[in-house]
Amino acid sequence: MNGSLTGAAANRIANAVLHFFAFEFTKVKKNQEYLKSKDGWINFSIGLTTENGEVAQSIWFKDGKAKVKSSVEGVDTKLILKDTGVLAQLATLPPNEVLNLMLKNKMASSGNMQYLELFNLMISVLMKDKQVKQMHAQAEERAETGREMVDDPDVPRKRPPLEFLKSETTDPGVKCIGDDQYLSTYKLDQYPRLRKFLDKHLSDRPAICTERAVLQTEWHRKNGFETKPDGTPWVPELRQAYMFKYLMENRKPIIRKGDLIAGTTTTKEIGVPIYPDGVGLLIWGELLTVSERMLQPYEPLEDWEIKTLSQDVFPYWVHRNFREYVREKYHEPKCQKLDERWAACFMWKNVALSHTIIDYPKLLRLGLTGIIDEVKAELAKKGNSEDKKNELEAMILCYEGMIAYARHLAEQARKEAAAETDPKRKKELEVIAEAVAHSPEFPARNMEEAVQAIWIHWVGVHMESTNAGFSLGRMDQWLQPFFVADMAKLKTKEEKDAYISHVIELLGCFYLRCQDHVPLVPDIGNYLFGGSSSDQAITLGGVTPEGEDAVNDMTYVFLKVTEMLGMRDPNVNARYNASKNSEAYLRRLCEVNVHTTSTPSIHNDETVMASLVDLGYAPEDLRDWSATGCVEPTISGKHIGHTNCMMFNMVAALEMALYNGYHPLMRWRVGPKTGEIADFKTFDQFLEAFFIQLKCLADLTCEYNNLLGEAHAVLRPTPLMSAMTADCIEKGLDVTKGGARYNSSGTACIGLADIVDSLMAIKDLVFDRKKYTFRELVEAVRVNFEGHEAMRSVILTETPRFGSGSDEAVEVANRVTKYMKDCFWEHLNYRGGHYTTGFWSMSNHVAFGALTGALPSGRLAYQPFTPGLTPEANASKSLLDNIRDVTRLEPTSMNNNIAFNVKVNPSPRDTHAQTVEHVKNYAQAYANMGGMQMQFNVVSSATMRAAMARPEEYKDLMVRISGYNAYFTQLNRDLQLELINRADYGM
Amino acid sequence: MKSPLVLELKGNSLDDGPGIRTAVFFKGCPLSCVWCHNPESKHTEAELSVSLSDCIGCGTCKKVCPQKAADLAQQGIVDRAKCVRCFLCTESCPPKALQRVGREMSIEDIVKKCAADKPFYEVSGGGVTLSGGEPTMFTDWVGELALRLTEEGMRVHLETCGMFDYEKVRGKLLPYVSSIYMDVKIADREAHRKYCGVYNDVILENLRRLFADSGEMGFSLLPRTPLIPEITDTDENLTAIMRLYKEIGITRTELLPYNPTWYGKTEKLGVSVPAELEGVRHWQSSEKLEHCKDIFRSEGIDC
Repeated sequence: MNGSLTGAAANRIANAVLHFFAFEFTKVKKNQEYLKSKDGWINFSIGLTTENGEVAQSIWFKDGKAKVKSSVEGVDTKLILKDTGVLAQLATLPPNEVLNLMLKNKMASSGNMQYLELFNLMISVLMKDKQVKQMHAQAEERAETGREMVDDPDVPRKRPPLEFLKSETTDPGVKCIGDDQYLSTYKLDQYPRLRKFLDKHLSDRPAICTERAVLQTEWHRKNGFETKPDGTPWVPELRQAYMFKYLMENRKPIIRKGDLIAGTTTTKEIGVPIYPDGVGLLIWGELLTVSERMLQPYEPLEDWEIKTLSQDVFPYWVHRNFREYVREKYHEPKCQKLDERWAACFMWKNVALSHTIIDYPKLLRLGLTGIIDEVKAELAKKGNSEDKKNELEAMILCYEGMIAYARHLAEQARKEAAAETDPKRKKELEVIAEAVAHSPEFPARNMEEAVQAIWIHWVGVHMESTNAGFSLGRMDQWLQPFFVADMAKLKTKEEKDAYISHVIELLGCFYLRCQDHVPLVPDIGNYLFGGSSSDQAITLGGVTPEGEDAVNDMTYVFLKVTEMLGMRDPNVNARYNASKNSEAYLRRLCEVNVHTTSTPSIHNDETVMASLVDLGYAPEDLRDWSATGCVEPTISGKHIGHTNCMMFNMVAALEMALYNGYHPLMRWRVGPKTGEIADFKTFDQFLEAFFIQLKCLADLTCEYNNLLGEAHAVLRPTPLMSAMTADCIEKGLDVTKGGARYNSSGTACIGLADIVDSLMAIKDLVFDRKKYTFRELVEAVRVNFEGHEAMRSVILTETPRFGSGSDEAVEVANRVTKYMKDCFWEHLNYRGGHYTTGFWSMSNHVAFGALTGALPSGRLAYQPFTPGLTPEANASKSLLDNIRDVTRLEPTSMNNNIAFNVKVNPSPRDTHAQTVEHVKNYAQAYANMGGMQMQFNVVSSATMRAAMARPEEYKDLMVRISGYNAYFTQLNRDLQLELINRADYGM
Repeated sequence: MKSPLVLELKGNSLDDGPGIRTAVFFKGCPLSCVWCHNPESKHTEAELSVSLSDCIGCGTCKKVCPQKAADLAQQGIVDRAKCVRCFLCTESCPPKALQRVGREMSIEDIVKKCAADKPFYEVSGGGVTLSGGEPTMFTDWVGELALRLTEEGMRVHLETCGMFDYEKVRGKLLPYVSSIYMDVKIADREAHRKYCGVYNDVILENLRRLFADSGEMGFSLLPRTPLIPEITDTDENLTAIMRLYKEIGITRTELLPYNPTWYGKTEKLGVSVPAELEGVRHWQSSEKLEHCKDIFRSEGIDC
């Protein structure tokens, strides 16, 4: 088959292929297994059609039989191909490339997306061998092109020994550590346990863990979902609470061999939990092949796991997930269609409503029983409504489940201690048993208990809701009292040193525990979100709620652990308050960046707080902010900010403005008609058109986000999280319904620098200097500058860019950010809060770039945008121009924070101290000038190229993408090249 | 007052004096060292730089050149014999493959551009570096610039080859300078003339006088020697320089390892690489560098 296929012929072929499917899945017994579920046969229909309707075929499965029809009328799920050429590609491409056809809008789906995944599984049942062969060939090609990145791929990696600074001063908040607050003498080599876990983390493949999904499904099959077995409707909060309790009571209490911390989020060393009410079913199509894919392959699934998921779990949830709830209730609204075309937005609300920080200090203060008592006291009050009582009862059930799990862990630790023959390990297990027997059930009395309690609750949070961006908050603040109290009990220096060393190891284990789960990434996600973990942010430093210097002993302990392990997760964010925090602290932040190449990210505390003025936080709450997920500010314990509800492609609106509301890749007039190119007489007229298109997209995405918000409240209320979020108990209202004291939804707006550079090119060349007509420029853009190379050169060399020190470009940037922020601010979310606006991009600047044509900025079609709001690599030869321009952006227009990437390359002539000093100077000046957030990659492009050539030696090479960290060698090729092509500033 | 041409205002410079700096490179130098790393800085007049790798072959230069000297797309060359440096081609070359090297800038313009980076100077102890070429070829003008920079709160650092009229520089420039790097390349008088084009009497005399004035006038002085293979990095030369420092009382110096990245520049300007240096397009080994440093360290001179 090929692109020149006639419609009629293609239609016949499609019919034949579907008949082949019908035969294979009705006559071949072992294939039929995949159509069976615990509820009986899976009945569904899939249609295959082209945009012009020349091809229209469908296959209908009913009660184990199959029928092919020459029509797509009434099918559950329709696959709409751009043309017959795509049909040919469908049959020959490896599965990930087929997904890319979807991403690139060569085909689109309509109707229940889960059936498409089932259909993909059926394809892989028939074609597995061929698919695997293709995937292996891709991997080989990747390895080969990797070797081409350097002249001599056979030169092994050199690892010069690290040097460590000693602090010349001691911060006022550092009470116990003593003179060496940088803890410069503690090295990873002293902790073989951590070394071993770290090696496993870097080398083991993740494995799908079915435990949560199986227990969850088991409970619902018995007790119902929409209704109880007696036919009465379930109160969603209570249903979730009973299910959660059952889950916690019945999951396996695991203490990893050799670990100091009890409990796991999954049953695997590195598990991929499945949340079928979110997007868990997206892995359905890959159950047979996920171990063979090129990027992030998982361990192969056991046969029973495949069977359980495909026959028991997944069929139960086909309609019971956020996406399909909205589709069915609101008839696949336009806003949902927009999301499912990938090019304009990515709605994280389909996945989760997590991205928040609950009240861990309350857990340490009250323990699980104390929390139950608090809820019971509220429940005992007179005049509570039924709804309130239900929510409060749901909270109690959840915490009973938590207690059960904690007791199981303590018991497990005791059992293992009794059986242990190695006296050292026996002692460790006894310590664990003793700590867990007390806490989290009761208030924590020491560091050991506090860390165990936080981890066990962390596990609970991840059993209730999807592992996407749940964050840990101000751990240094919350653990400092335990550190000080424990130290006060110790007499000798040896005892104190041993204790500090133990705390480092304990928290090292905690960091490594956080690696025991990774988010489920269907292969399509590898292209959208390369190498992202679940982004469990920790926040250090800053000021206390009273406004005093908050840097303390534990700040430096956490920095030590961060430095020693150099891992992508927890995602460490440091608040630097230039008025209150010391220079020594900032220097240490920079040293850790130099050693780990990319963490922690540094937030200028005062500017972040200034950016939040419109949110109306109480001053003491504002000063207690911490970062969530990537960088986004959340008021810990009081706020559901779903700070990453959507990734928003601003550039799509620019394309729509250039083409009168029409989006070229989606082949869809999404937006209103804002004028033909010839109609624009002034720059401001065009800017207005762009703003109208932005508003159109913002309206649609907010509408969809709100519908998904409703889906969460109905399908997955979270009473556990609610009990740990301020005001929910008093209101008796779940966080999914707006129970939290503060509510908001955070957006990530992508492509700011590309937009500003494009607008500047239009302004400068078309309207100011009149060097080209607008029509000429747009024509050049439309054909990707082919035949217009001179024009592109003029754009690249003459037009003022963001990051070049151009006042005008900064002004345009501020107009765009302000408009964007106002646009989102006017919407209220499902929980009654405002939408906030951020300018960071995870890895979607690459993904959205791949779905966007050429731009007036001179950027060629399908190339990445710049990460976050980072200026384009050639904007200026001087990093300082970049830094200065970013500091001139108005903070209040960026109230969901920013990600500003700075890639610096240490000079081999500089000493370690000099290198750190250079980085510190940049960060210090940036803060003094009022910049907001800054994140470094202290690594050269040459090193990254070497890593592409010899990936096995660079597994630990960590890079900052936009907001989050990832391991370079796990990234897709586009993302690797984007990192290499970032401006490389020598130091 | 003779106003110089500026080669470049280089922001975020970390190698031209203490801290983060903006370096102002002036065009023109009284020396003509065979190894000159900045061949574009030798002459005081504007020159044409041609970068073939940036050429997109659009043919614009051929259309605009009145002398029919430029035809990058077809010939890949500019006929420098015909070129009269009217620079018309540089104004219309879309990718800027043809560029004018050296342009006039007003003192106020330089001050304004440098002042933008003040927050970086402040945190790092940096400032503005006057370099070249040789800034003291334009002492009146550069002194005025240094005065304005200091008035605006920026510290001025001077990089010089030492070949200048001392009294004039002392009167017009040194009062506004807070630190100086001065090159001391070759101790032997004849060898200096051979490799640098002039005798070194004035340079060595100026070194003594700068050292003598540094305390009273409040600037720091660091003499530096670029290590050029077989020319300046010989034991004989370095020992002689070391003895000179001992005699003057200088206790600190810096040796600059040979940097081979300048060869590319010669092609762009259409000049040839001197025969002495054809064979050494590589970095100096760290062993050699340590050996050179030891010559000074063994006599108590920091480097």
